[in-house]
Amino acid sequence: MRWMTAQRIVELTEVTKIYEGKVMHRALNRLDFEAEEGEFVAIMGPSGSGKTTLLNLISTIDLPTYGKLVVNGIEPEVLSQNELALFRRHNFGFVFQDINLLHMLTVEENIVLPLTLDGLPLHEMERRVKKISAQLHLKEILNRRPDELSGGQAQRTAIGRALIHQPKMILADEPTGNLDSKSAKDVLELLSHVNETERTTIIMVTHDPIAASYCDRVLFIKDGEFFNEIYKDERRQTFFQRILNVLSLLGGNVHDLRTL
Amino acid sequence: MNFRQFAYRNVIRNRRIYAAFFMASVFSVMVFFLYSMLLFHPSIENRFLQEIALVGMGAAELILFIFTLFFLFYSMRAFLQARSKEFGILLHLGMEKRQLHRLIFIETLIIGVGAILAGTFLGYMFSKFFFMVVKEIVLLPALPLYLSWKPFALTVGAFLSLFIIISLSAPVFIRTGRVEELIRGEMAELGSHGFSTKRAIFGLALLGVSYWAAASTSNSIVIGLIFLLPPLATIGTYFFFTDSLPFLLHLFRRRKKFYWRHFWLLSVSEGVVRLKENARMFFIVTIVSTLAFMSVGILASLTSFASQYREMNPLGLVYHSLPGNQLEQRHVAELIEELKEKQLDYTLVRIPIIEQTSSFTENRVSILKLSNVNLLAQSFGYSKIDLSKGYAMFLPPSASSYDFLKKRTVETTLKETDITIQIEGAYPFQVFPSNAIGTNAIILNDSDFEKIIMQDIDPASVYYAFNIPDWQNTKEVGLQINRSISESFITGTIHHLPYKFDNPGANYAIIRTTFSLLLFVGLLLAGVFFLAAGSFIYFRLYTSLERDRKQFDVLRRMGITDKEFKRIVNRQLIPQFFFPWGVAFVHSSFAFLSLQVIWDALAEISIVKELLLVLAGFTLMQIIYFYLIRWRYLAHIKAST
Repeated sequence: MRWMTAQRIVELTEVTKIYEGKVMHRALNRLDFEAEEGEFVAIMGPSGSGKTTLLNLISTIDLPTYGKLVVNGIEPEVLSQNELALFRRHNFGFVFQDINLLHMLTVEENIVLPLTLDGLPLHEMERRVKKISAQLHLKEILNRRPDELSGGQAQRTAIGRALIHQPKMILADEPTGNLDSKSAKDVLELLSHVNETERTTIIMVTHDPIAASYCDRVLFIKDGEFFNEIYKDERRQTFFQRILNVLSLLGGNVHDLRTL
Repeated sequence: MNFRQFAYRNVIRNRRIYAAFFMASVFSVMVFFLYSMLLFHPSIENRFLQEIALVGMGAAELILFIFTLFFLFYSMRAFLQARSKEFGILLHLGMEKRQLHRLIFIETLIIGVGAILAGTFLGYMFSKFFFMVVKEIVLLPALPLYLSWKPFALTVGAFLSLFIIISLSAPVFIRTGRVEELIRGEMAELGSHGFSTKRAIFGLALLGVSYWAAASTSNSIVIGLIFLLPPLATIGTYFFFTDSLPFLLHLFRRRKKFYWRHFWLLSVSEGVVRLKENARMFFIVTIVSTLAFMSVGILASLTSFASQYREMNPLGLVYHSLPGNQLEQRHVAELIEELKEKQLDYTLVRIPIIEQTSSFTENRVSILKLSNVNLLAQSFGYSKIDLSKGYAMFLPPSASSYDFLKKRTVETTLKETDITIQIEGAYPFQVFPSNAIGTNAIILNDSDFEKIIMQDIDPASVYYAFNIPDWQNTKEVGLQINRSISESFITGTIHHLPYKFDNPGANYAIIRTTFSLLLFVGLLLAGVFFLAAGSFIYFRLYTSLERDRKQFDVLRRMGITDKEFKRIVNRQLIPQFFFPWGVAFVHSSFAFLSLQVIWDALAEISIVKELLLVLAGFTLMQIIYFYLIRWRYLAHIKAST
């Protein structure tokens, strides 16, 4: 395998996550997963398959019930809540489906927010905003507010916010879920560009096979368990076709059909 | 489940939101009921003593009622707007507008009736305690608990009609726009800046002018300012919150060096949004708090006036007989008789006062005999003063003029009798009430005084000074004389009356009880204001909770530690709590600067101590309230994630 030599940045070994409550719910069941540094991975699966749970575990917001989880060489369990918060802040960038820009801040302020929390000097913050906004074509709209942006602009701003502190890893939850096809394409090309040039690891949860076809690898899970995993090949078109094939297996329940 | 049950359950399940609002309503009903209990008390009727207090109490009831009306209107409106999403869904599901109005009517009435029942019940529970406090203040022999339908009828009638008015008009507050708009709810309102620089500067200028005028006021214009400044400051405050403050924050946001520093970015930008949403509420809270500070401060200063009254009136009874008074002997005998009857110890000193013209000033000067003054001083336990022949001493009209007169030496001739004397220094003890013997009085040595008497000069007046250690119990003494003075006051012959009579003990009792009672009434009223202001803030926080939760979730993922989050919340909450209140604080401080001018003119009284006490008390209450609400807010925000 060509990733064997690279550093592992995420490693899950037989991880189980159970949500206690009035109804006990097993969201993940003995799942193994790893991602190498610089990899662009998509996680796919039907609704309720545990995709978002997996992403929450990797982003250390949730802790596994059983099993071992190592992120960037650290086991989140051993860290305190405070240390975890700082760990997330310095290592991760987040992109969400509903974008979640802070509505009272301008584009520029939204982007710079993670840096202000760490108290960087002003000229350094300005330098980075300049660089990022050029990269993401945000220069003209820096002083706008989130409610004055198109969906694509808003998501680009969110990506800017995720990238500004040069994180090791970007965690994206359905980043194209609310976008039209043109904006979605822009965002995906942007992500894969960042992945190639900055060697930033990206883990992306998605429903969309087109979005997944931009990745190096796609992990399929179903009912909280490993289902399949495929790697990209030379052409995106054939990769896309193979993703569709797996999805068709994943989507319907074959046994149900057989009884007809 | 029928319609009424649906409404009932809506209230019960929204109880968290309703809590602060309900509490403030209950408290308001309770205080109203307590006032009514006192107003209708059978043993308090027909007493001259408490007339002012009763008028004050009635005024307080009226203020309370009007205030509650506004408070309910405002809360109800904010409340229904916050639930607009819920109403949108109901309309979406096919509920008729008419039914929705009925739902709101029933809901409001349920809360209203609940608040009235709880308020009257608590009021009746506390009325025994309330009466005990009032009894102590008014020095009444007994103020028993009684049961009568009147206070109940007044309270229930007043508040029930109030709640019915609110329930009927409440549906007007829901924006009857499109269903979709209702569902989107409050988020739609956020636009860009929304302030005008002109109004911002106008607001600051108004406040600046008011402050400057209040601080530099003098006695001659203060009365005019009392009517001019409050409206000026009120308008200024309004623009301050709607325009000046956003303008100042906008200026701050341009200074990235400070603005992009740690939590400032989050808290200032959040502050701007809150300010925009709540500018009017902050304005109302500020004005209400200012009113509360002011009323309590004024009443506290009146109380301090009462306590300093004794220092200005060291004598128990004073009878001042002018020439041509045929009743002199009879009156004095009467007073002595009454004092003996009441078994009150006293020292009576008869002090004839002579008037002469001083060659030094060409003014009339009142002259007292040294041995008379010494006699009186000894009854207070002060030491004797000696004056040799040819010497006299100033009798300072008040404590503050002593410092000025004690270093003065004047040589003068008393024109009518041609006696030359040297007036040296001032009499150091306060044995007469302020200004009792005129502003120009001296104490003369005995032998020169006798010399004047020898020349057949009749005393201009005779001053009977009663020193009574137990001075507060002289209320019942001299009622006869008082009555004839009142009569001549009514017939307009008061200036021709050949005698004056003063009973500081009785006056003190009236002043003290009236003011203390008013203060007590005012404190309760301020309590209602205070609770209402807090309930506004709590309620506003509650309505934005959903949005705040979402934001907190973003920040939590991004990696914000608990400590940092608390700091951000502090920076958001503290201004909301303490800013309106701080402005109110500054407003009332300047108002009291003017008030001090009035007091200085009336009597030499400093109200600084009382005011500091009042302000400190309010500060403490506000801090406790802040921690209470922050605790609830943090719990709510974290609970959901």
